[in-house]
This record gives sequence, C-alpha cells and structure tokens, in this order.
Amino acid sequence: MSDQTVVRRRVAQHSISDARYNDAKSQSQYQPYKDAAWGFINHWYPAVFSKELVETTTENEEELQTGIKGIMIAGVPIVLRRVDGKVYALKDQCVHRGIRLSEKPMCFNKETITCWYHGFTFNLDDGKLSTIVANPDDKLIGTTGVTTYPVQEVAGMIFVFVREDDFPLEDVPPLSDDLPFRFPENNERFPHPLWPDTPSILDEHAVAHGIHRTGFGNWRIACENGFDNAHILVHKDNSIVHVKDWVLPLGILPVADDCIQVVEDEKGPKGMVQWLFTDKWQPVLENKELGLKVDNLNGRFYRTSVVVPGVLMVENWPEEHVVQYEWYVPITDDLHEYWEVLVRICPTEEDRKKFKYRFDRVYKELCLHGFNDCDLYAREGMQHFYADGTGWDDEQLVSTDISPVTWRKLASRHNRGIAKPGKGVYGAVKTHSTRLKELADGKRPEYFVEQVWF
Amino acid sequence: MPQAHQVTINFADGVSRTFAAESGESVLEAAIKAEVPVLYQCKAGACASCTCKLAEGDAVSIPGASSTLLASEYAEGNRLLCVTKAESDCSFNVAYGSEVGSSVAQEVKVFIDSVERIAPNVMRLTVELAEGNWLEFRPGQFMQITVPGLGVLRSYSPSSTSVTLPKMEFLVRLLPNGAMSTFLENDAEVDQVLTMKGPYGAFFLREEHRRVPHIFVAGGTGLAPILSMIDTLRQTSGKKPPMLLSFGCAVPEALFALDDIELRQHWLPTLKTRVCVDRNATEGLHEGSPVSALKEGDVTDPDTVAYLCGPQPMIDAATRRLIEFGMKPELIFAEQFVASN
Repeated sequence: MSDQTVVRRRVAQHSISDARYNDAKSQSQYQPYKDAAWGFINHWYPAVFSKELVETTTENEEELQTGIKGIMIAGVPIVLRRVDGKVYALKDQCVHRGIRLSEKPMCFNKETITCWYHGFTFNLDDGKLSTIVANPDDKLIGTTGVTTYPVQEVAGMIFVFVREDDFPLEDVPPLSDDLPFRFPENNERFPHPLWPDTPSILDEHAVAHGIHRTGFGNWRIACENGFDNAHILVHKDNSIVHVKDWVLPLGILPVADDCIQVVEDEKGPKGMVQWLFTDKWQPVLENKELGLKVDNLNGRFYRTSVVVPGVLMVENWPEEHVVQYEWYVPITDDLHEYWEVLVRICPTEEDRKKFKYRFDRVYKELCLHGFNDCDLYAREGMQHFYADGTGWDDEQLVSTDISPVTWRKLASRHNRGIAKPGKGVYGAVKTHSTRLKELADGKRPEYFVEQVWF
Repeated sequence: MPQAHQVTINFADGVSRTFAAESGESVLEAAIKAEVPVLYQCKAGACASCTCKLAEGDAVSIPGASSTLLASEYAEGNRLLCVTKAESDCSFNVAYGSEVGSSVAQEVKVFIDSVERIAPNVMRLTVELAEGNWLEFRPGQFMQITVPGLGVLRSYSPSSTSVTLPKMEFLVRLLPNGAMSTFLENDAEVDQVLTMKGPYGAFFLREEHRRVPHIFVAGGTGLAPILSMIDTLRQTSGKKPPMLLSFGCAVPEALFALDDIELRQHWLPTLKTRVCVDRNATEGLHEGSPVSALKEGDVTDPDTVAYLCGPQPMIDAATRRLIEFGMKPELIFAEQFVASN
C-alpha cells in the first residue's frame, strides 16, 4: 500500500435556515459586504481635522512634528505631511523594508520625506524614490516609489482617497460622490416639512466641528448602529433626552414597502434615505406588557440616511440648522475610527463663534459624548458575536432590520472594491511581541502612529 | 542526417524564446524540453490549445498527423505546435504572454461536496481540494476529471474562481450514456474522492483588457467559464467595465443558473444580461440563439473584447456577427466545447 491517505480539510460548517428574515438568498446578495471585514477601498475617507495637522515651522520643530501624522485606513498605512498649507498623503511603508515614515519624521526639504532608518527619500507629489541619503547613485532611485493618495481639505476636515496601488488616478471620483445627499437640490425628492434645509459640509461657509476616536470592533457593526431604527432604545435614559423632554420613541417600525429609498443615480453618492416621521414608519411609544411608556412632551424630528462607503447623516440633529455626520472608518478588521461631526452654515464671524461655543459647551458633552457614548458601548458589546465571523450567519434579524439589510445589499453593489486583509501592517497580526509590549505598557491600539524621539 | 533548426516563440507580452528543434520532432516537444512556457493539452492535434501563427520561415504538419486546423486556417499561417515540424529556422507568434504557460498542470485529489441536477441535462458538481492539495487556474481554463471506475478523462471549466479555492464548482452537461453523466447520475456520493488535473487551455480572461467593454456569449454549459470570468472581474477592484452576457439554451426548461446570473446582476450594476431560448420563449426571454440576441449597438467601443464559449456553430456565428459590428478579430476569444460520451 503505497498510496497516501487522502484527507479532508477541516471545515467549520455553517448553515442558514430559510425561515429567517435574512435567509440564504438574501445573504448571498450581500456576500461582498460580508467579505468586507477590512472595509471598502477606493473611497474618500476623513483622515484628520485640519487643526490636527499644523505645519511644522522653524519655530515649533524643536518640540513636536505637528506637520506630519501617520494613520491607517482599511489596512493601508498613510503618512500625511503639510507643506506651505498643502497636504500630501503617501503610503506610510518604506519600499525598502517597510518602516513607517511617520514614526520618526525626517524631512530635509519641502519636496520630500525621508525614511529615518536607511534614508530612502520619496517625493511628496508623486511618491517616487528620489534619493537615498547615503547611497545617492543607487540604480533603484527613480525606478520605484510609494503610492500617493489624493487629498481634499474642506470646512476644517482633511479627506483622503484611499486607493489600491493600481487604482488609476484618472478614475478618482469627486469627494461629493462619497458624501451625504445635499439640500436644497434634493428638496423635491426628499421633502422635509418639519425642518429647514439640511446644511452640507460642501456648502459655502460650512463649518464642521467634531471629534474622532478609535472604536474597538468591526466598522460594519458600528455603521449599522447609526441608522438601525430599533437601536434608539439604548438612548432611552440619556440625559439630554430628559433635560430637553424629547419624545424619543422606544423604536420605529416600518409599515410601508417603500419606507426606505435607495439612491443609485449614475452620478453622485449611492445610498439610502429612510422616510422617518412620515406614515411609512410608525413610532412605538408604549409596551403595555412591560409597562413602558414614553411620556415626554417635545417632538424631536430627524431623518437618517447613509451613503457608501458608510457615511451617516442625521438631519435636523441635535438642533435645527445643524446636521450630524458620522463615519466608521475601518482601520483593521477589528478597529475603526469613529467620527462624529456637526456641520452648520456660519456666514459671519459671530456665527462661527456662537457655533463653536455651543459645540464646546453643549453638543460635545451632551450629544457626541453623553448621547453617542451609549452607541459605542452597544457596538463593543456586539463585537464578540461577530468577531469570529459566525455572527453574520447566526444573527436572527426582524422586520426593523430592513435598514441594515438594505444597506448591506446596496453597499455590496456600489462599493469600489473590497479591501484585502492588511499585509505587513499594524494589526495584521494581533499577537506579536511589540503589540503585546504596547498593551502591557498601557497603550491601547489606536489610529495615530505614536512618534518616537531619540 | 537529421538537422536541427532554431525555433523562436514570440509571446504577446514581447518576450521571445529561442530553442533548437530536431528535424522531425514536433515543435511542441522541443519547446517542452527547452522549458519554454507554451500552452498545450492533448498533444494530438485536437484541442487547439497550442495554436500559434507562423511568422517567419518554414514549418509544416508532420506527415500522418491529424490536425483540427482548417485548410484555410493553415494557409493563413496558423499551426498547431504539437503536430508541426520546422523545415528551416522559423518563428511563431502566440496570443498569450510568457507568464501564462508557466502555470503547470497539477494532479490533485478532490472530495465531492455536492451533486445537484439543475436542469434536465445539467448537473452542478461542487468539490473541495483535499488537505495538502492545491492548484491555481485562470478564469476560463479547464480541468480534466478522471471518471471513477472507467479511468477515462473528461474536461470541464470551473464556474468558480481561484478566490473560492479550495472549493470549486463545475456545470456538467449530461449526455445519454456518457461516462461522467452515468457516474454523476448513478454512483457519485458526497465525500467521494476524485482525481483532477489542470489547469489547461488558452481560453482565459485577458487581464490587460479588463478596463474595456466585455461581451460574453455562452451556449449551454459554456456558461461555466464565463461565470468564472465575470466573478473575476467583479472581484478585481476598481472601476468595473460595462459587461454584456448573452446566454442561451434550446428551450426554457433547459435553462439553469438563472439565480447565479441574477445575483451577479445585483452585485454588478454594469452587467447587462440577455437570456435566450431557441424556441417556446416565455416572458423575459429572447427567442433565438444567444448570437441573434447581439445587436449592432452592443459594440460601441472598437476595443471591446469578447469571450465565446459553446458549440462550434455558435462560436462561428458569433465571431462573424461581432466582426460585422466592428469588433477586432484579435479581441474575440473563443472555446468550443466538444461533447464526448
């Protein structure tokens, strides 16, 4: 008997019951979304607030390299540098041996950035290897380089188009394709009798204030929370709701087939708008069996929409003339950067001051923290169920989950690419020694690269 | 006194390889000895995997060898390397790059996961590579599966892509008393082990054309390699090209995999499909062949690329029609499937 035994691979068996709301057929329609653990790539994402990238000058360079930041989005490490006001974004991984350039910023002029280990020097504008500090005649110079990323700075935010190395620059769409729907241009399509025109970050005089922090969990879990109309139960006991005596339902039920409108226009953002506070959705204010009743007095109308790659807009929130945007920017498959941004049109200096004051004194504490902190807890609580992949098969959805399921399907159809698991990057291996050392030293996994000084 | 000639193969990516061929030896044998990565399969003048074009010099069919080339094709300079001998120093052009042929065929063991009849004469066979077994293939290429008990080989293109490996899927057309058909209908069992070898064939998705409009024409189980190609385009990130799939069977009852096609349409906003039947068309179906469903307006870009898979008459008709519509002949790739029972 010379024949070797043929052995079956070890497989985890999952199966999906047809009786479930999200049966096998429905799930297959959003398989690409299930595959997108590391996010969607070839999209615009917020990278930093403008105020977080302050140009390094001769006056401040002694202390901190404030003009250079290292971040990671969808498994792509990115270094940002501001020079003469303009922001450049390059792959933060030296072609030589993979060092992150941002870890110990080294720049000898305004046109390049140098790797602090062996001196490989890259052009900021096209990423080409322009010289090597101690090897200026090497044959490699000019023949290789790092990927560059288009950048756009608007209303105090810096956006980066996170692309695959071979995604052509001429195919890069305008930033507006990856931002929420705008008003008044959509007034007829999406009327809003209960509140004024929603501002956009792209409007003239738009001002954006907000915060971003690292969320521990997969970006999809976070994203689906924002527009899931049964999740508002987590906000039942929030201070701001009771201080302002807002009527926040226990949940909102879909009661019409067309309760969600999917937007798939050839040009512009792809996403969906929920017809909240119309007869297509029914607020639930009471559960008799449990003796629960919402008896607050003040109506609080809002509308949620979401566009690819995962941008939430809450119109008329937290107050009139203000809109809340949220991003859940994938970092790795178990980390994301949670962005909460409020936008208001402020034509005068006085308007700007007032909005800033209100942001600092009211919105930041009571809304972005007090209210939305509950969402963070809920998402982290859910992460365990999905972390090993089985949650996507085992979840048992109900009718209110029409919102996440519709989103999953449309995102499967309109993403510009599924990010591949990060290779040779932070977080690709969860348990190697430097990562454990950082944890032992009390440092959480995070979005920004910690700069070293020696 | 046998005399050696210098033979050069020019690959589509600009790479050329020169080697010596003994007089009387087939150019293919010489190329294999010299480890030049040419594509081939049957080595008997039948499968056309080793098709090339004589560019310079003299090369003729080995006396007594049979060849599926038409006299007109031969006259145009087409040669099958496996049945061709060099009469002088000569060079041949091949339509694929030098990287392509380097994926050498592997023999692997697979376990049957499922066998499911999806139309009166079509079975869906899914398998999984055994532990420690692996191969890679290009979308459109085919595998040879040994029919258990009989030891004969049958060729099938996976409808899956290399992304889903170690799982693979095949669409098998059932033929009366066919070796594989009889096996699948009567004897195949889940967890049974099959022997498979591949990949083979020069019919595969051309990476370099992935940004131009694509037309796919599939007859019957010729759909399998086409599905693999469409899925590969879907899984390749970046802007998706416009795609048109024209798929046909004889009658509505013979159609299959319509759910799979519908799902691809859901995933790919740029994919248009036409489903055709030769007769008894019901609502939503085009009556006529998948070739007749092609319209002049389908070719708007002169760089459009087409992939055809099905019976020879369908391929000939589709090629004629697409050229008529302004397509470049060299951008039409085809594979006929040959029934063997």
